[in-house]
Amino acid sequence: MVKMSLDPLQVMSGQVKELKVSPSSNGDSRGSWEEKEEFDQDHLGLTTKPKLVTGRRARKVEGGVFFPKPENAVSIAVSSRVLFRTEREQEVYLQKGVEEYLRYQIEHENEPFAPGPAFPFVKALEAVNTRLRELYPLSEELFDIVLVTYNHAHVGIRLINTINHHNLFIERFCMTGGSSPIGYLKAWHTNLYLSADADKVREALAEGIAAATMFMTEKLTEVSESQLRVAFDGDAVLFSDESERIFKAHGLDKFFEHERDNEDTLLDHGPLKGFLEALGKLQKKFYAKGHRLDCPIRTFLVTARSAASSGIRALKTLRAWGLEIDEALFLAGAPKGPMLEKIRPHIYFDDQMFHVEGAAEMGTVAAHVPYGIAQKHNLIQKSSVGK
Amino acid sequence: MVSTIQNTDVKQKDADRAVVVAVTSRAVFESGADGDDVYGMGVAFPLLQALQRVNKRLLEENPAESLLFDVVLITTDSQQQQQSCRIISSTRHYGLEVSRFCFSSEEDFVESLQKNNVQLFLSTDSNEAPQASQKGVLSALLDRQEAPSEQLRVMFCGDAVNRPDAGPMPASRQAAQNFSAQLGEMRQRFGMSDSPLRIVLVTSHGGRESCGALRTLRSHGVNVDEAYCLAGAPRSPILSVVRPHFLLSDGFSGLED
Repeated sequence: MVKMSLDPLQVMSGQVKELKVSPSSNGDSRGSWEEKEEFDQDHLGLTTKPKLVTGRRARKVEGGVFFPKPENAVSIAVSSRVLFRTEREQEVYLQKGVEEYLRYQIEHENEPFAPGPAFPFVKALEAVNTRLRELYPLSEELFDIVLVTYNHAHVGIRLINTINHHNLFIERFCMTGGSSPIGYLKAWHTNLYLSADADKVREALAEGIAAATMFMTEKLTEVSESQLRVAFDGDAVLFSDESERIFKAHGLDKFFEHERDNEDTLLDHGPLKGFLEALGKLQKKFYAKGHRLDCPIRTFLVTARSAASSGIRALKTLRAWGLEIDEALFLAGAPKGPMLEKIRPHIYFDDQMFHVEGAAEMGTVAAHVPYGIAQKHNLIQKSSVGK
Repeated sequence: MVSTIQNTDVKQKDADRAVVVAVTSRAVFESGADGDDVYGMGVAFPLLQALQRVNKRLLEENPAESLLFDVVLITTDSQQQQQSCRIISSTRHYGLEVSRFCFSSEEDFVESLQKNNVQLFLSTDSNEAPQASQKGVLSALLDRQEAPSEQLRVMFCGDAVNRPDAGPMPASRQAAQNFSAQLGEMRQRFGMSDSPLRIVLVTSHGGRESCGALRTLRSHGVNVDEAYCLAGAPRSPILSVVRPHFLLSDGFSGLED
């Protein structure tokens, strides 16, 4: 197992070979970021007047706080069932039906929910926002968090009370009363959707929205409150599942052979590539103000590939995409749990439930990306929290 | 000149309890060729059918129900007034549950609304709605809808619900409160799913404090089905998915973004 910190200035093997781009591969992000404002160079220096932006200005609200337009921000939609713990309420719903469930919620309206698996992640997003606002007070390039719930809205008061109780800065809500929010999420250029329900996550993925299913862990490792740490699996998460297909169909040897033969061909992109890209753009804003070493965002690649062989193709692909990842950990098939426990990410994305569960056992909040060939092989069907 | 004609095809509603909704004939019917006796279906047709469906379901729950929609067809200009026969025969042709026809002109249609105790006035004309609203009649603008739903969908704009009262409550504000309370009571006759009526709240500006609109509405007996607090995000995605039949905000509103 090799741990490498990638310095983008360092060239891997001395010579940068010409990279072939296979016909199916494209380095494009989902396109949502391209529609957003370009990283504004003028904001790097001290400006006395805000630069006139074509299009609508940010909306100013009394109190001076303004809310970024969704297309400019990194929009994260979080389900109430992963932001908070709602198992008891889910039980009432399943056992006694919807009317009793609503009555129960209203009765307990002033009791805030406890934090759920996505809670530390959201707190870390807010910490990053605070630093971004200090450095770029007029910029809309922030994390924008939307709370999504399928609940009927008159239950929403309890959610709002909970948000106030925990001092969260969430100002956008979707309480859909049972309808699907995917249409809105798409229209608001959502960069990431976290839910407890795998079907809804699949629906989002099908619409091109990065999404993952989250589960509550009984054991929770302590995570940083000042630095957002996000870890990604490689195949079928950042990259497409093409190599995994070879592995599943023809075994490990064929996989290695295929990767070697195609070392200079870019991998196709996976569902979370766009989100990594969005994180990278925010990271660059910190670097531009001299905060490379204490950047409050850190990204990790945790892959079963091995550094000496199959990992090379992964790294070359990332470089060709212009994406930096802070640490790449090549496990060469070793279990991910112990490594993740050391890294302590706020969230870890993997396409295989086996790894998600392994991570959870050791206290890492892992999110399942139901994408690619591995889904047919997910034999362990553990029911998700409160589904 | 204002005149009111009862539709003898339809059972009259309880004047004390019914929710009187006036819709302009121009919104309901589309003028076809001059030779035709019967008009074509206009923009408000799906709305009328949705209102009728709510009534039908209310009566299924309780055959003695008196809290029903009482639909009045109103003409608002002299030209329409002259078409009175065609309006009545078209209404009968389609079997619309319209209890009364009011014939008036530009000058006196608001008076007609007030005389008929209209609680909600719906028009496709962007001048008529504010006119009525200024005189204290709750009004909303209707627009053509793509794929209107069978379920009656009413959207409240929360920014108005929350706006602090500076002085005495304007008449249209009181009208809005009354109407929403009645709507809330109707909504409670049905369960969470399979309701013929759906209430949606959208708060466009401000943060989560503006979701206090949820509490305000609840205190008026309105349990909202869906709520969206946008904090500046564009409203149009919500409108295109929810497809409300009309929006209510502080007296009158349009369907513009």
